[in-house]
Amino acid sequence: MAVLTVNHLAKTFNIGTPRASRVLDDISFEVRGQTFVSIVGPSGCGKSTLLNIISGVEEHTSGDIRLTSDDGKPARMGYVFQDPRLLPWRSVMRNMMYVQDDQSETTVARAKRYLDMVGLSKNADFYPGQLSGGMQQRVGIARAFAVEPDLLLMDEPFSHLDAITARGLRAQLQDIWAQSKKTVVFVTHDVVEAVELSDRIIVLQPGGRIYEDITIDLPRPRRQSDPTVATLQAEVLARLEQMKEMSQLAEPVA
Amino acid sequence: MSTMTENRRRSTTEIEESTSAWRKRLTSDGAARVAALLSFFVLWLVVSAVFGRVPGPVEVVVRLVEEFARGEVFGNFASTLYRFGVGVALATVVGIAVGVMMGLSQLSRAFFESPVLVGLSIPAIIWSFLTVMWFGFGDMSPIVTTFLTAVPFVIINVAQGVRGVSRDLRDMSSTYNVPLSRRVRDLVLPAVTGYVAAGVRFAVIIGWNGVLLAEWFGGSGGVGYRARFWYDANRYGGFAAWVVLFVGFIVLLDRFVLDRAIRRAFRWRDA
Repeated sequence: MAVLTVNHLAKTFNIGTPRASRVLDDISFEVRGQTFVSIVGPSGCGKSTLLNIISGVEEHTSGDIRLTSDDGKPARMGYVFQDPRLLPWRSVMRNMMYVQDDQSETTVARAKRYLDMVGLSKNADFYPGQLSGGMQQRVGIARAFAVEPDLLLMDEPFSHLDAITARGLRAQLQDIWAQSKKTVVFVTHDVVEAVELSDRIIVLQPGGRIYEDITIDLPRPRRQSDPTVATLQAEVLARLEQMKEMSQLAEPVA
Repeated sequence: MSTMTENRRRSTTEIEESTSAWRKRLTSDGAARVAALLSFFVLWLVVSAVFGRVPGPVEVVVRLVEEFARGEVFGNFASTLYRFGVGVALATVVGIAVGVMMGLSQLSRAFFESPVLVGLSIPAIIWSFLTVMWFGFGDMSPIVTTFLTAVPFVIINVAQGVRGVSRDLRDMSSTYNVPLSRRVRDLVLPAVTGYVAAGVRFAVIIGWNGVLLAEWFGGSGGVGYRARFWYDANRYGGFAAWVVLFVGFIVLLDRFVLDRAIRRAFRWRDA
């Protein structure tokens, strides 16, 4: 089980220049194993930047991030991006294997298993260009789970898809997560999606600070049609609207 | 009555289908290529009929057959192909190495950019004069001319290809800690393949010019040398026969080897 610890993390772009802008400010939280955590907030509040810093794609300005696994081995990360990011010149199966540590038969079998879980086992030899956007994103999800990550990062993976495809994929993600129980940090601007999927929701406010850390204690699997899910979604949405109003009031008058 | 109407309807559909099939054939790429060849052939016939100093197709074929009979074709062609092959191979290897460096490093780009631009702007004829002065008659001069003419095209294409490798895919590879060897094999090389192929295609066509010019001015054998032999002898039929031979060779090489190799490299895009 992996533990992700983020301590007083800050990020400033264009540091030392007149265009310097702080996007994350004093972010601290901890994510323990087998938890599904969503980070929500309005556009530009630093959600994706936070995920990129956790993944190591971007440097942070100050603070500390630690990802530890129980067995003492370096923790393994998976990442599902907004767009699928598949190699267009490699087949679906070759894309699955591209990110694997080893190319053994066990790993191939695991990749096939996850491909089967997202319903694409028959498309293993297809090129990504032969698949729809939703199918490509399913490959991206299967690829991330197939590396058996200690921590899985997901950056608005359904934001580019139509509502029906996104709903299907959310249900599929819940099923896979229920079977694999990976630690997930999921970035989204969609509160409805966050409530449906998460054990915890961290709300970021404009300026990159944590506004609230909400625990979602609802039985799984969750469906949007469930009245308790819908009630909680409305409640969280109301809190976000309240945060937005307070942020607008706090803005200096020009 | 209804059977007659059905028969008439069926035959109308058949006529429409057959007309549309013919229209498709006539407006296809293949038909356009055949039309271009025929137009050129007709133009050649007309020009040779009007101007006495332009040999016609029949005379050219006769001279070509004579050259075959004399045993001049295979030996000279083999010499040229050897020089051309070595020059293009060297240009490809050096071009890929320098192009990758230019694509990856800002410092390398700053270092190589001006020499490459100078190389691009010097025509093959100048290189052929220079190499004949430097290396005299023999294999070295056409090989170096081919190399110098072709290498800037490979460099510039490869550098552009390396710079164009998707940032998103590079970030994805970093996130998953994909080993460098696998990144080169599965990400960089396929991304650059199209640019390498385009660069080599340019290099082949431009290098062919280079080798022929170097042989023309400083060769003691080869296709360029043989074309000049007939030119100096004021026998335009012989000269044109060699022109047809080397133009035909480059067209066939491009169409049946390079074009197919490029299509193969991009088959994922057409899938």
